[in-house]
Amino acid sequence: MKPNTASKLLIICSMLYLIIGISLGFVTAMKLIWPTIGEIEILTFGRIRSVHTNLVMFGWLLQSGMGLAFFILPKLLHTKLYSEKLGVATCCLFNITTIGSATMIFAGQMKNIEYGEIPIPFDYLTVICWVMFAINIFATVINRNVKYLYVSVWYFIGAVIWTAFVYITGNIITQLPFIAGINQANLTWFYVHNAVGLVFTPMGVAIAYYVIPKTLNTPLYSHKLSLVGFWVIAFVYVWTGAHHMIFGPISYWLQTVAILFSWSLIIPVVAVITNFLGTYIATPKEKRYLGPIAKFMYMGTIFYLLTCLQGPFQSIRTVNIITSKNDWVVGHAHMALLGAFSYFAVGGIYHVLPRIIGRKLYSEKLGDIQFWIMTIASVLFFGILWVSGVLQGYLWHNMNGTFLEILKMMKPYHAIRFVSGGLIIIGFIIFLYNIMETLWGKAQEMKDAEV
Amino acid sequence: MGESSRDEGRRGVIMKKPSFEKNLFLLGIGAFFVFSVGAILTTVIPPLVDNTFYKSPYPVHTYTTQELQGMQIYQANGCVYCHTQQIRHLKADQVRFGWRLVEAPASQSWEYVNDRLHFLGTKRTGPDLARVGGKYTSSWHWAHFKDPRNMGEKYQTQYGRFQEASLMPNFYFLSDEKIKDLTAYLQTLGRNMNWRKGQNGEYLNDYEN
Repeated sequence: MKPNTASKLLIICSMLYLIIGISLGFVTAMKLIWPTIGEIEILTFGRIRSVHTNLVMFGWLLQSGMGLAFFILPKLLHTKLYSEKLGVATCCLFNITTIGSATMIFAGQMKNIEYGEIPIPFDYLTVICWVMFAINIFATVINRNVKYLYVSVWYFIGAVIWTAFVYITGNIITQLPFIAGINQANLTWFYVHNAVGLVFTPMGVAIAYYVIPKTLNTPLYSHKLSLVGFWVIAFVYVWTGAHHMIFGPISYWLQTVAILFSWSLIIPVVAVITNFLGTYIATPKEKRYLGPIAKFMYMGTIFYLLTCLQGPFQSIRTVNIITSKNDWVVGHAHMALLGAFSYFAVGGIYHVLPRIIGRKLYSEKLGDIQFWIMTIASVLFFGILWVSGVLQGYLWHNMNGTFLEILKMMKPYHAIRFVSGGLIIIGFIIFLYNIMETLWGKAQEMKDAEV
Repeated sequence: MGESSRDEGRRGVIMKKPSFEKNLFLLGIGAFFVFSVGAILTTVIPPLVDNTFYKSPYPVHTYTTQELQGMQIYQANGCVYCHTQQIRHLKADQVRFGWRLVEAPASQSWEYVNDRLHFLGTKRTGPDLARVGGKYTSSWHWAHFKDPRNMGEKYQTQYGRFQEASLMPNFYFLSDEKIKDLTAYLQTLGRNMNWRKGQNGEYLNDYEN
């Protein structure tokens, strides 16, 4: 098999789920304005919403991360991927799982775990996929031709190990017969929070640690900082699950522990951000923001910083009174997964895919257009969710308004969210077109030196 | 790239690197152990410290087969994404989701011990349902599931408000049998604390109407 077949396949498949996933998100936004649209059983809000999150998180983000890892790791380790065949098999099985689980959720077969709706047997199949992926990664690292492991490699290894335990806890242990009630809720939020923090964060950060210095052609700002970032995130992230239940029916001390550790998360995040932005600053000014890759990585870093500062602040009890259980949370989740990690993945794909097939990106200009549409739209999207969230938070505390009256006031905010969501989809469609033209259209061949 | 990074360049010497940077085994084990400290302390230890996670000091309602089927329907249609099931320890929650000027008591961990499937939720597009049991009659729920924006002659007063603002999906596709199951489940919610009082101060237990 040709080198990088598995990587290419995973990336192409992931983009398909991206488009389907965000379109379903668009339908849910539509239903918040016109609830009578698409009134059939499989398009009920609760089901589309679950398929949306599952496709975007696992179909798109996880799969594109796997594809990028299959390219980046061998490059960094000066070796070939251990087994292309195993990689392609992983991709096939993962696609069966993703399509199967989406079908099952549409049919009303889902678990009660947020982000873990995937029913049996597809959650078990995902675990098998992950084991196959892990074998490939570990074997590639063992077969390496360099002595030292670069930061990106640590993060990929970390992601492989942490994802396994986090996923099994959320999808399999929560379903054990003796796990019920608050115990199950605690495990659910352990899973929900760490799915973002210990699956997508290390994947995204690993991609950024590779792509940023490469695309800017500048060495990484500080090796020591990356060390601090990695080990501190490994230690502090897992503790924070219970901050989803502040003031809720769970032990007060556990909430306090979660809040304290949410705050300590600032340490690794600032270490990582300083490293990324330091690399940008070390680059000559005129070369910093050239082309879509540098722009996506830069904005992704900014969104990562913002989302990770927002997290600790909204976990404080007094702030949580206002920001919890409303649109604010939706804005926060979207900034992490769409703002930060999808931006890293898009930048990574723009960097990696042309190098896999040896052809130049079809159009840098289109990439820039995509960047500006998406960035303006997502700032509007996140912003409007925070505004409506804070408004809801305060209005719920004012006993004069009924719940329905407050919901009615949210109409204009839902409309702006719908429009900006539509713009984000246009951005992603430009992305898909650009990549398709690069793959099968009239893009130029790349010179060997650039590969 | 790691070799040529900045802080080493400044000193002009190659810093001695920790051994996990060249040893996959050490890196993997290290990453796992550092992670597992927090993982164990936040998942295994809490139920051992606080036994109300799985055991109740007070009597707790045991679900009937019909109610369990209702719970399955609640799960299958993703109700949890718009309705939380937790009255937080906040005056605002207790008043807003109370009943006829009676404040709803805040949810306690022992109330959930019989919930094989938890639906605490994270987002309130619709109101909290933790204490919804008994607040509305079963025929109200019937009309509301059939069409939340047009509940028919009997509930005219609510007609206008719900038609304008309600975002709830229309569950016309659920069979009558399923709506009965779902309603039976909803009527149990909050039942573990007897909190609604009648005109003479007696505790109400009128969940079956």
